[in-house]
Amino acid sequence: MDTATHMLRTGRRGPLFEYQMAFRDLRMSGERLGLAWSLAWHDVVSRYRGSILGPLWITLSMGLMVLGIGFLWGEVFGVSTRDFIPFVALGIVFFATVTGTINEGCDTFVQAAGMLSQTALPMFTFVWRTVLRNLINLGHHLVIVLAVLAYFGFWRSANYAGAALGLIFLVLNVGWISLLVGIASARFRDIPQIVQSITQAAAIMTPVFWPADRISPAHHAILDLNPFYHLLEAVRAPLLGRDVAPHTYLFLAGMAVAGWALTFSLFANTRRRIVHYL
Amino acid sequence: MKAPPVSISCRNLTLRFPVYGVDAKSLKKHLAKITVGGKLGRSHGATEVTALSNLNLELKAGDRLGLVGHNGSGKTTLLRALSGAYEPDEGSIEIEGHISALLDLGLGIDPSATGYDNIRLRGRIAGLSAKEIDERMDEIADFSGLGPFLAMPVKTYSAGMQARLAFAAATAVEADVLLMDEWIAVGDADFQKIAHKRLLKLVERAGILVLASHDIELLRLYCNKVMRLEGGLASPVTDIKKLDELMAA
Repeated sequence: MDTATHMLRTGRRGPLFEYQMAFRDLRMSGERLGLAWSLAWHDVVSRYRGSILGPLWITLSMGLMVLGIGFLWGEVFGVSTRDFIPFVALGIVFFATVTGTINEGCDTFVQAAGMLSQTALPMFTFVWRTVLRNLINLGHHLVIVLAVLAYFGFWRSANYAGAALGLIFLVLNVGWISLLVGIASARFRDIPQIVQSITQAAAIMTPVFWPADRISPAHHAILDLNPFYHLLEAVRAPLLGRDVAPHTYLFLAGMAVAGWALTFSLFANTRRRIVHYL
Repeated sequence: MKAPPVSISCRNLTLRFPVYGVDAKSLKKHLAKITVGGKLGRSHGATEVTALSNLNLELKAGDRLGLVGHNGSGKTTLLRALSGAYEPDEGSIEIEGHISALLDLGLGIDPSATGYDNIRLRGRIAGLSAKEIDERMDEIADFSGLGPFLAMPVKTYSAGMQARLAFAAATAVEADVLLMDEWIAVGDADFQKIAHKRLLKLVERAGILVLASHDIELLRLYCNKVMRLEGGLASPVTDIKKLDELMAA
């Protein structure tokens, strides 16, 4: 048994107290990370129950998309498939993790309404559930990444430590966005639609399917100001054996700090209300 | 270090419910409301309902409190607040001991998963480790009486079988403080009997029971104290023997 044996719940006691309670929630969720993992694992298993390939179905359709886009668009852009297919493959796989965690973040609290309204489970547990679920899916899609890196010979030049660092930045940033849209969606039911429109637009605006160097230097702001570009670049560039621009790390670190500060404040202020939104 | 004795203490507990109507949930209407200065929005905004006001409650080990009151009098709200799900708006709730809330038997039940998977999930939510659940699995499976059906998806169960599973899984966790909403009348006559026995055992083991029910006989059977809620206002905690006077008041 690892449930609390002492529980104290009180009315509002000023902003500082609300932040303390929010931190307490975060700490408790850390202690019960195993529960978040069990729930995430259960989500993945139950979504694909009765199918033979399970989450690999998405991997398969992604693989087909990679081949289709890789050959056709490579031709359109006049880039060799040797360079273009790995680029598109990594782009699609990691961008799916970004948009998946954000889009599913909308359901984080709505889906957990039953548990939140009758247990003292930390709310952050459900945020980790969404993040972990998407990481489990990413684990399946890594098949594509590994296949492409091996086939096109990038595995020798890839900087794995750099990619791991990029993935940490990605999860840190996607985590707060997921929590933010989760709180917002619990309160306002039209947020999921807005979030989906934004992530759809981002898929087009971000160099997932098209080479970033096609943008003329004069219009480089389109990339520099696009957070999704930096999220993707931090993971993709090291795997392709390229260096990540320092300003990308700076951008991601700044975004993580500012984003978590903002979202955590929102969480601290709405924490006791979220269960009533549902 | 010896754990402090089991207790529940509510002081001046007030709980208000913001009711977010369909209108209040739309962002567009929210923005529109702000731009017109909130005049139009007054009837659409979040209305607050005071579900519990200024409730004081002290319970110690051995207390079995029955909650009575009409629908909407605040019984379930109080149980949810005691379970830690609802935060008080004013006052405080302090509880020593493991809390187990049997408010909704369907908690964490996934119809497409097998009976075994559901027991595991429910156990994880209740705070058991995977190992602890495996240790209890035989006992739970045995109690549910579902036998080979536990390996089948729960959606193939009849309503009675589902209730058996949920009940067996929900009551497998030892608790010091047991919170129950309504009496969970489940299954056929046979199961009712063993369920009754199991609950009595749970009640004996639990330091404190808080039970909300409309069934007076049931309250007499399980409880030694009673409190009446009326529109969020609580009567003083009285002895179960004075239940008739309390109800007449």
